[in-house]
Amino acid sequence: MTDLNKKEVLLEVKDLVKYFPIRAGVFKRVVAHVKAVDGVNFNVYKGETFGLVGESGCGKTTAGMTLMRLYDATSGSANFKGHGDLLKLKGTPLRNMRKDIQMIFQDPYSSLNPRMRVKNIIAEGIRTHHLAAGSEVDDKVADLMGKVGLSVDHMYRFPHEFSGGQRQRIGIARALAVNPDMIVCDEAVSALDVSIQAQVINLLNDIQEEFGLTFIFIAHDLAVVKHISDRIAVMYLGKIVEMTDKNSLFDNPLHPYTQALISAIPIPDPTHDKKRVILEGDVPSPINPPSGCRFHTRCPVAKEICSKEDPVFEEKANGHFVACHFVK
Amino acid sequence: MNNDKKPLLKVKDLKTHFHTEDGLVKAVDGISYEVYPGETLGIVGESGCGKSVNSLSIMRLLESNAEVHGEISFEDKSILKLSEPQMRKIRGNDIAMIFQEPMTALNPVFTVGDQIEEAIILHQKKSRDEAHQMAIDMLRKVGIPEPTKRVDEYPHELSGGMRQRAMIAMALSCNPRVLIADEPTTALDVTIQAQILELMKSLQDEYGMSIIMITHDLGVIAEVADRVVVMYAGKVVEYADAVTLFKNPKHPYTWGLLNAIPRLDIEQDTLYNIPGVVPDPLNFPKGCKFHTRCSFCQEKCKGEEPELIEVEQNHFVRCYYTEKVEEEKAKAKAGENA
Repeated sequence: MTDLNKKEVLLEVKDLVKYFPIRAGVFKRVVAHVKAVDGVNFNVYKGETFGLVGESGCGKTTAGMTLMRLYDATSGSANFKGHGDLLKLKGTPLRNMRKDIQMIFQDPYSSLNPRMRVKNIIAEGIRTHHLAAGSEVDDKVADLMGKVGLSVDHMYRFPHEFSGGQRQRIGIARALAVNPDMIVCDEAVSALDVSIQAQVINLLNDIQEEFGLTFIFIAHDLAVVKHISDRIAVMYLGKIVEMTDKNSLFDNPLHPYTQALISAIPIPDPTHDKKRVILEGDVPSPINPPSGCRFHTRCPVAKEICSKEDPVFEEKANGHFVACHFVK
Repeated sequence: MNNDKKPLLKVKDLKTHFHTEDGLVKAVDGISYEVYPGETLGIVGESGCGKSVNSLSIMRLLESNAEVHGEISFEDKSILKLSEPQMRKIRGNDIAMIFQEPMTALNPVFTVGDQIEEAIILHQKKSRDEAHQMAIDMLRKVGIPEPTKRVDEYPHELSGGMRQRAMIAMALSCNPRVLIADEPTTALDVTIQAQILELMKSLQDEYGMSIIMITHDLGVIAEVADRVVVMYAGKVVEYADAVTLFKNPKHPYTWGLLNAIPRLDIEQDTLYNIPGVVPDPLNFPKGCKFHTRCSFCQEKCKGEEPELIEVEQNHFVRCYYTEKVEEEKAKAKAGENA
């Protein structure tokens, strides 16, 4: 896309692969691999929200965790502005990278240390990266708590004293504390009730504007991803099948999987005209993914070529990337 | 509408309270609704609103610290007055239930077939062989491939979608009159959810059963429900047919909820913010339970709880100031046109 070419590339992911070995037998030999992420390419531009969607087991979370270096990548590269290849960092450079890329996790219950007070949870990163000292830390924490809509009086409370939505706000404040360039949000609103989810989505939008943040927003809920993202990549069994800006994706989905996925979402309007593509069967196992195009076992338009040749992920229209043999 | 028909299941002023160490939890606090033959009633609400406790009350599956008052009548029987053996004849036979988490609702040490056969043998007095054959037929009906092989498999050998299908097969094996589905698709992926909803609809057409669909997902409700009950803090706040409820919501909570969900079919700049959190059931606010989060709240709302009033035919709302929502809707419409 022309206007995107002018934009600054913040993160460039190339051929990212993450296999998990499966070990068995007395000597724990590697007998197979779970091919969680199998050759993923995308760019994230500065200031945008890049959505990564797919069903469970498609590898979206693994992709995020690998970029965060919470898993070690099997192969591939991820160039982040100012840090070089994220996947090769070690020691101090790795630690410095963590200041610039933060993460918000799905489960607000298990992602906060139950034995730490809110103040220390938020201040931990500030202290680690020596961003403030002494009473400045307290001021900074108070400021952040105000920004994410938490009462400053609650600074000395423990996580269990907060509701799910408030805990997610603590997680957001913790991520913001080190003043990052980019935040990876892994299913950040999925565990929340509808009314609370809207609050957190609005908060994420507000802080993005205020701090000029870039988001990678990983989620399974297409409606949420559509609302928050600028560009979206759809994943299926470890590969991106379609990637484009959100309007093209929803107005003109090209990949049969994207079409089925969009049509499967229930619209909260009983008079809505439903034209459903119902996919048959389940997502195949990533241990032994189908040959050729991985979607061919469930694809309504699959032909012989699909089981033999893996389609190339290429630009079919301006900024609209698709991996399908039948999209011209 | 449905007024000429006789309701199959009628819940009247149901109150389910739990005695806990921390105090009395009024999980369900006086709800009433009817389920007519062959229809789907949607019950929607956020976590803690009492929608699941309501279904467990109907099935009489609550623990001993629960106190249930009110009336639940199924046909001419009063469910709360039945003895346990009488109840056992209804449970799983006339009224069946499917649960949210198929992995925890299925017994991991029995095969899927065993679990389906159990209900058939118990309620229909069939032999083991006949029941086995019926279990295979049910599995085929709910779209499980290779049912003769799957019937002897354990729950962990099935995928999430297949487990949910197996649970539906179990619930439908005795041809129930009412099926209570408590968040049946929440744990599933959207493409699998679409399959399961489609399956439930086709089975409803075939067997003519009534469904009570309990969920937090307004999209699912819009998809399947004929009439909808909106619950908040143990009370019904709005009750209407689906089209009316979605097109013309009158309670500030329903209206806010519909504007708080991100949608695929409409462009939204910001989502509507319902401030605050769902109140603690130990300590529900006085007056209207929603007043702490309502943007139209007046003095009156804090003092006395409004009644559930029929504002239009078959459209019930629990709010003093429904006209405020109307003003807000008019404003939004004007903004759209401007």
